[in-house]
Amino acid sequence: MSRGLPRRLLMLGAAAAAVPGQVRAQAWPNGPVRIVVPFAPGGSTDLSARFLAEGLSQRLGVSVVVENRPGAGATTGSQLVADSAPDGQTLVMSNIASHAISPSLYRNLRYDPVRSFTHIAMVITNPSVWVVNRDSGIRNLRDLVAQARERRGGLDMASSGSGSSNHLLIVRFSQMNGIEFTHVPFRGAGPAMTAVIAGQVPMMSDSLPSAAGHIRQGSVRAIAMSSAERHPSFPEVPTFREQGFDLVSTSWFALSGPAGLPPAITERLHRETMAVVGTPEARARFAELGGSPGDMTPQEFTAFVAEEVARWAPVVRASGATVD
Amino acid sequence: MKLNTKDLIGGGLLVLVAVVGLWLNQDHTLGTARRMGPGYMPMLSFWILLGLGAIVVLSGLFNGPDPLDKWTPLEIYAVPLGVVAFFIGYYLAGMVGFTGWYPLGFGALAGCLAFSVAPGWRPLGLVHAGMAVFGLMLEQFGLMVSIVGCVIVASLADPTHRVKGVLGMIVFLCVLCWFVFIRELDIRVPLWPVFLTQ
Amino acid sequence: MELLLTNLAHGFSVALSFENLLFALLGCVIGTAIGVLPGIGPVATISLLLPITFGQPATTAIIMLAGIYYGAQYGGSTTAILLNLPGEVSSVVTTLEGYKMARNGRAGAALATAALGSFFAGTVSTILVAASGPLLTQVALSFGPADYFSLMLLGLIISAVLAQGSVVKAVGMVVLGVSLGLVGTDVQTGQQRFTFGIPELSDGIGFVSIAMGMFGIAEIILNLERPESRSILSSKVGSLFLTREELKRATPSVLRGTALGSVLGILPGGGASLAAFGAYMMERRISKGRHEFGSGAIEGVAGPEAANNAAAQTSFIPLLTLGIPANAVMALMVGALIIQGIQPGPRMVEAQPDLFWGLIASMWVGNLMLLVINLPMIGVWVKLLQVPYRYLYPSILIFCSIGVYSLNNNVFDVYQTLFFGLFGYLCSKLRLEAAPMLIGFVLGPMMEEHLRRAMLLSRGDVMVFVERPISATLLAIGAIALITMLLPNIRKKKEEALAE
Repeated sequence: MSRGLPRRLLMLGAAAAAVPGQVRAQAWPNGPVRIVVPFAPGGSTDLSARFLAEGLSQRLGVSVVVENRPGAGATTGSQLVADSAPDGQTLVMSNIASHAISPSLYRNLRYDPVRSFTHIAMVITNPSVWVVNRDSGIRNLRDLVAQARERRGGLDMASSGSGSSNHLLIVRFSQMNGIEFTHVPFRGAGPAMTAVIAGQVPMMSDSLPSAAGHIRQGSVRAIAMSSAERHPSFPEVPTFREQGFDLVSTSWFALSGPAGLPPAITERLHRETMAVVGTPEARARFAELGGSPGDMTPQEFTAFVAEEVARWAPVVRASGATVD
Repeated sequence: MKLNTKDLIGGGLLVLVAVVGLWLNQDHTLGTARRMGPGYMPMLSFWILLGLGAIVVLSGLFNGPDPLDKWTPLEIYAVPLGVVAFFIGYYLAGMVGFTGWYPLGFGALAGCLAFSVAPGWRPLGLVHAGMAVFGLMLEQFGLMVSIVGCVIVASLADPTHRVKGVLGMIVFLCVLCWFVFIRELDIRVPLWPVFLTQ
Repeated sequence: MELLLTNLAHGFSVALSFENLLFALLGCVIGTAIGVLPGIGPVATISLLLPITFGQPATTAIIMLAGIYYGAQYGGSTTAILLNLPGEVSSVVTTLEGYKMARNGRAGAALATAALGSFFAGTVSTILVAASGPLLTQVALSFGPADYFSLMLLGLIISAVLAQGSVVKAVGMVVLGVSLGLVGTDVQTGQQRFTFGIPELSDGIGFVSIAMGMFGIAEIILNLERPESRSILSSKVGSLFLTREELKRATPSVLRGTALGSVLGILPGGGASLAAFGAYMMERRISKGRHEFGSGAIEGVAGPEAANNAAAQTSFIPLLTLGIPANAVMALMVGALIIQGIQPGPRMVEAQPDLFWGLIASMWVGNLMLLVINLPMIGVWVKLLQVPYRYLYPSILIFCSIGVYSLNNNVFDVYQTLFFGLFGYLCSKLRLEAAPMLIGFVLGPMMEEHLRRAMLLSRGDVMVFVERPISATLLAIGAIALITMLLPNIRKKKEEALAE
């Protein structure tokens, strides 16, 4: 194990950061910074957080550690950060689940996705992509709608989970077109993709990074991308808009802290994050995975979160998914 | 009648869980066989559990005798005492102003200690009380102090312990846990009391 | 065949490079160490080490992570055998006979069986992965939700047979486990079930908490209550290695376990955890030593350990050929590869031959290393049992508490374990067995998921379970197993009636 960092110091610091204390803006960063990931290790939120942590620790000169606090639709970890001291030592990898969808899904949530946080920087955004089984006979969205009308109970449509942004995209699409569908939720994108490849379910709405490899390998066919324009890495996949369906949706992973973070810290973190994700290597790697580095000021990002909450609330209601 | 006390209580336990489960499951929509709601599978499993529990109870009426170990009166009284102590600890801690999981921890500690009044329950009560002490102290007093607390309480469960042995064990465990969990595995937990490092 | 040999030779040339060997060794050592510690599993460790792998070549990184994975399997069985502490789903079964063997003074033999059986299974399944990975993927793909449901149902029937005493009580415990598994967020609708408003329960009751509480902590108390059996535990150590008789008994079990584990391991989700249970059941029914089950039969260690390790290897097949992770550890592997800019999947064999064949070769190298590390260690581990129990049990308690806490960094898990310790004690006093309950707990949620998905896709037609050949076959096996299990009882009743 490489052990370049003073770990004992790190432990003490992490402990100190967990206890609400006085704001120590002057000497920031004061010991290690922890980024709470509200999901289990291994997912896209976790990976982007670890990537960011690696870059930030080099730039800030202190260790930046990732801490996984999964649970309750990414709200457990987010709540933890909302409750921490706004001293810049505890941050959260905010995302479309914890800060856009869950507030409508979980009615007794204690935090406000906009006001309980200081939104710092957008890290990665990526579109959703709809993929179909190769033998399904579906070549574009029109085929999809036609097949959905034919079958009793509509077409089976898979997603990585109930209440995920990919599921809600299916809900929006069906609402717009007045078609029936049978949503088949899975526990994560992997099993859902297996079912599509095996032909148990004809189509799936997936995030581009987890589907990118399968599309390149040709094990599934991509029929529509939810970005506003065609994705540079997949120029052959048309957007929803091009096919006459006005639907744009991006999934996002960002960096936020507790409300009331001193502006100087926010500014510094924003600058360093932009520097980490803006390097040519980072851009190239993101592009390959189907993501794009974020590009928003903290103000724009805060306004964006508010828009997102408003955008998803009616869709969540329509999907019938609630948690109490 | 050859009563099998173990089966009667065990089956009764299963029936109890099933009945409570079915009652709680009323909140969940059953759905249809095609589109099963969140309540469908619980309904199936709790009904099966109820049936199996009932069979265990019924057979327990005949396939005995298999009595429980003989309990002293003190052991019998300690059980309700422990349960009452749990709730008292839980609500008292809540009233005093502890939040989060602290009331649960105090409740568990009080319950386990009350249990230990009976000599027969001491291993059970004190080992679990040690765990409760560990949970209560870990986040504020740090790993080292929690180990000390937990080991001392848990050691009381075994009458053959000597003070010197316990002290040696505490030192050994503190060093070992520091090395394994802090230095090597780097788990996220304070090492020393938080109020000292502030 | 020739191509396979060329490829394997290429793989070994990669795996045997100094750096890769070093990191394979490192991975195995770390894996064994964390496997021995209760609570801390490969998932937590791999995610901690993930950033370190960013700077390594992809092949080296994945070889190290794979070493951690199967090192943890070995380590897990060590504590299961010595202390009745199953840290992983797969080592629950090992506790049943392994711990009994340790109590009989055959801890060394049990550990050696586990190590040798796992090594043999690892060797066979590595060849299998190399030779027929892509082919086996097709088998995995042909499993639909109905087939999975039937497989899980078969698993539950198996676990009822696994019980020591009354079948009805065992089935009751299985169903109780299934019910406990329902706690948490419903996958299909996102609704919270039986959580009492506790956010920590929204992802379900923790497996480690239940396993630690019902096996480890409850066992501590039972040992404290019987001072006489403790002294046996610490005085009798016996010969460290296998006797010829034991070797003869264990060999067929290892062969059977390897076969079963290799097949079940390729099924994503559930397959690998079913492997050990299935092997145990099989040994209990057909092995020569079946009459000794429950009092420390070596077959009950050999079969499941082989199956478990074979499944751990073949679970790489869906990852390497489809890019689909079979479990949480595999999901982390995908993450590690993606960070390196490699998308695992069918094209990986052509695009990254070094990685693909190097990993396969290193699986075998890793297994060999584990054997070399572990066999000499057996003596050291067995010495652990000679530590007076009054010093051993507080240490177990501390390690369990820290391990459980570190899962989610939450004291709730400590209290949860405390609760299951009390419950486990109660169950053992009432002769309600914990093992079937734990199996129900693991398989129950998966079973529900597949049942609901199968019914959703078939539009509510139950016939789907008998129309699909795989599902129908599995159900038929289950029915036969159930009948053969009940028949002796019925016959016995009849004989009793006649006798009167």
